Amino acid sequence: MGRVDTEHRALCHALFDAIEREDPEGMARCYAPGMTLWFNVTGENVSGEDTIAAQAAGRRIQRRRTYDDRIVNTFDDGFVVQYTLTVVLHDGSRRSLSACAVAEVHDGLIVRLSEYLDSSRFGRLRTTEPATS
Amino acid sequence: MTEGEIRELCETFFDAYQDKRVDILERVLADDCVVWHNVFGRETTKRDNLSRYHDSYRGQRRRTYDDRIVNTFHDGFVIQYQLRGVMTNGHKGSLWICIVARVRDGQITRIDEYMDSSKFAAWAGTEEAKP
Repeated sequence: MGRVDTEHRALCHALFDAIEREDPEGMARCYAPGMTLWFNVTGENVSGEDTIAAQAAGRRIQRRRTYDDRIVNTFDDGFVVQYTLTVVLHDGSRRSLSACAVAEVHDGLIVRLSEYLDSSRFGRLRTTEPATS
Repeated sequence: MTEGEIRELCETFFDAYQDKRVDILERVLADDCVVWHNVFGRETTKRDNLSRYHDSYRGQRRRTYDDRIVNTFHDGFVIQYQLRGVMTNGHKGSLWICIVARVRDGQITRIDEYMDSSKFAAWAGTEEAKP
């Protein structure tokens, strides 16, 4: 479990670091072809490509987003990460929410990501898109 | 604890919640267990939760914890599930929930619960429902 644990942790941080620094290629490197993201707010699956596109769109209203206080636990074929998402809008206002994502990993890539958060905490932010997009 | 023991603890906890077996909940929750909810952003104690357990069922005829997906790690588990409820007026609602739990010596020592409060009104069948 040691090597797998290390690899899954590295993959988790690689994804969230890529989102933070607005790096779509970095995000894509973490996703397996055909990857899906499921979101508890909509109950729908979206593709990895759509997730990456939504990430870019979100930057139009957000100056910065950080995924802080990450608590990562791994299992044989995936990981769970608990984190605080902090978003700073272009007007300087700031919002934070606590979220959790469970990832299924095959061959070192994320094949499914399930994200859980409280959308009422978004306020003026988008309410229908995952925090990881 | 082994993976099997952790999985069994997880299932025992949710079966007890479903079946209103407070005596089993009393056994599987450590006395110093902390329960944190993303909706409220605060920690509560075992005593807080068990003393309010029956109140939490107010207006509800039945709850089931379905479609459980459990993964374990060395000192805990993560469970994704669909909470389905039938209200006393017959309304049926559901919520998608994820819980990350810590375990020790056969008991749960911490629960972090993640759900979307914007679904509470639909769950209860009333627009007045608030987190």
